[in-house]
Amino acid sequence: MDIKNFTIKSFHEGLMKKDFSAMEAAREFFDLIDEEDGEIHAYLRKTKDLAFSRAEEVDALVASGEDPGILAGVPIALKDNMLIKGEIVTAASEILSKYRASYDATVVKSLKEARVTILGQTNMDEFAMGSSTENSAFGQTKNPHDFERVPGGSSGGSAGAVASGMAVAALGSDTGGSIRQPAAFCGVVGLKPTYGAVSRFGLIAMASSLDQIGPFTKTVEDSAILFNTIAGRDEFDATSVAKNYDDILNKEVSKTKELKIGLPKEYFVDGLSDEVRRGVDEAIQKFKKLGFKIKEISLSHTKYALSVYYIIMPAEVSTNLARFDGIRYSRISRINADDTRTNAEDGQYKSVSDRRRSALEEIYFRQRGVGFGREARRRILLGTFVLSAGYYDAYYAKAQKVRRLIKEDFEKAFDPSADGVDLILTPVTPTTAFKFGEKTGDPLQMYLSDIFTIPANMAGIPALSIPVKKYKVGGGELPVGFQLMGRPFCERDILSVGRMYEQDAD
Amino acid sequence: MIIDKKEVGKLADLARIQMEDGEKEALREDLERILDYFSELKEVDTDGIEPMTGGVFHENTHRHDDEYLETGAEREDLIRAFPEGERDFLKIPPVFE
Repeated sequence: MDIKNFTIKSFHEGLMKKDFSAMEAAREFFDLIDEEDGEIHAYLRKTKDLAFSRAEEVDALVASGEDPGILAGVPIALKDNMLIKGEIVTAASEILSKYRASYDATVVKSLKEARVTILGQTNMDEFAMGSSTENSAFGQTKNPHDFERVPGGSSGGSAGAVASGMAVAALGSDTGGSIRQPAAFCGVVGLKPTYGAVSRFGLIAMASSLDQIGPFTKTVEDSAILFNTIAGRDEFDATSVAKNYDDILNKEVSKTKELKIGLPKEYFVDGLSDEVRRGVDEAIQKFKKLGFKIKEISLSHTKYALSVYYIIMPAEVSTNLARFDGIRYSRISRINADDTRTNAEDGQYKSVSDRRRSALEEIYFRQRGVGFGREARRRILLGTFVLSAGYYDAYYAKAQKVRRLIKEDFEKAFDPSADGVDLILTPVTPTTAFKFGEKTGDPLQMYLSDIFTIPANMAGIPALSIPVKKYKVGGGELPVGFQLMGRPFCERDILSVGRMYEQDAD
Repeated sequence: MIIDKKEVGKLADLARIQMEDGEKEALREDLERILDYFSELKEVDTDGIEPMTGGVFHENTHRHDDEYLETGAEREDLIRAFPEGERDFLKIPPVFE
């Protein structure tokens, strides 16, 4: 069993031919994780009981001659911000370090119904806030291609698990690039679906108007399979939308080739590293060779996307994270109960805590003060600032207006009546994977690594990160990815075109 | 200076986060640089533009209010999900004075 190179497709074929059982596969994957994850640290926890009980069911079905489904027994990892009933789920934050979920996220329910073997939960930046997985409260994850470099983030554990072969596929979440950027850094395929395509019920929320769950896979074909399994309307998420994704990969190659690809000039600017420029160029040349029509377009508000994102996202963060009070969900027990410092100890201002805090306030302040890491605190404070009276109009309201302009840029670019394009091709990241500590001292530099992925979240459109070529782990090369963005709910377009690219590379 | 240390303290207060003095100053410097970066938004003409609130697509949802919480099973799960408890009670730290 060559488990490191399994795709969903090849795993399913092997299982059906009885080359191995789901149980054998699960055991081998856990052995591999035991051997290799000490170094990489993609996983925070393994869910062996869950995995083995599911594998047993799958093997019984296979033995009885029933078709267990394409995903049956497939070993998959989940980012640690999706609830699995009965399991610890932390969002890599100390404030949730002992939280045990009381229900399944809708995506988890869908995966269980598809009889997936859930291997465990992967490392991430705390509450999905970061671009390197260095903000986890539970240690760093290494890039399987180069142990001195970050895997990207915030879904760095999921990307690392798939790239190293310790999972056949994984789920991540993407608020400003948290699936696509680590996919590009680790040389795997990452899809951020249209906002509303996949239910967010049971996803620990970061920024609710931007978050989407999506797959990490080794191939575009696998991405389509996994997306199709988790997508759809869910009565527990009012923003989810009913759409039919059957025939998600268009079999008619000639139809796919009619799709027009746009290259937005605002994405090919100074600051793009030579490796990325060369890689993306290689992808563009291949699409030309395949016969696609390619033209330059403009998305004129692109340069403002980062500012808009870092106003809207923290505003939603400060709101969403208000629920973590150190009383519900999880409690940090080592906090000293008679520590009564206040934020106003220098006596410079009048505010709630200028007086002695109440016992209840003390719990909130100290649990949250210890429980949230530095980046979470930074974003909560930034969000509190942009929402506060006197600054709301200058920052938050302004950002919401510019967000609409960014979305309208895409609508114009995709408008068929104005000779628009069907897809937009861009780099995923300005550089390849950077080294540990390279950007941790400078939040703005870290934020800038999401500059090409943020606009798709702003506009709510689907976007796919594809490796320019197959990068061998340990081959001495750092992966480069390119991004395909499409119209809302047209995952079929980007996946079909991505699949053609991948087949040509095979 | 857009934001001073006193204001950072006030934000930490509003957000209910205990913060040491040294961190307040470091955060002040971070916020200052980030807010300065945002000033590029001033050059965008947004007259007459509707703010884009929330996600993209909205549809009203009515959840059935029977069934869900009445099975008893969820009740057990919820009690177990709480950090501390005794029999059927949820235990919290003392907050009354």
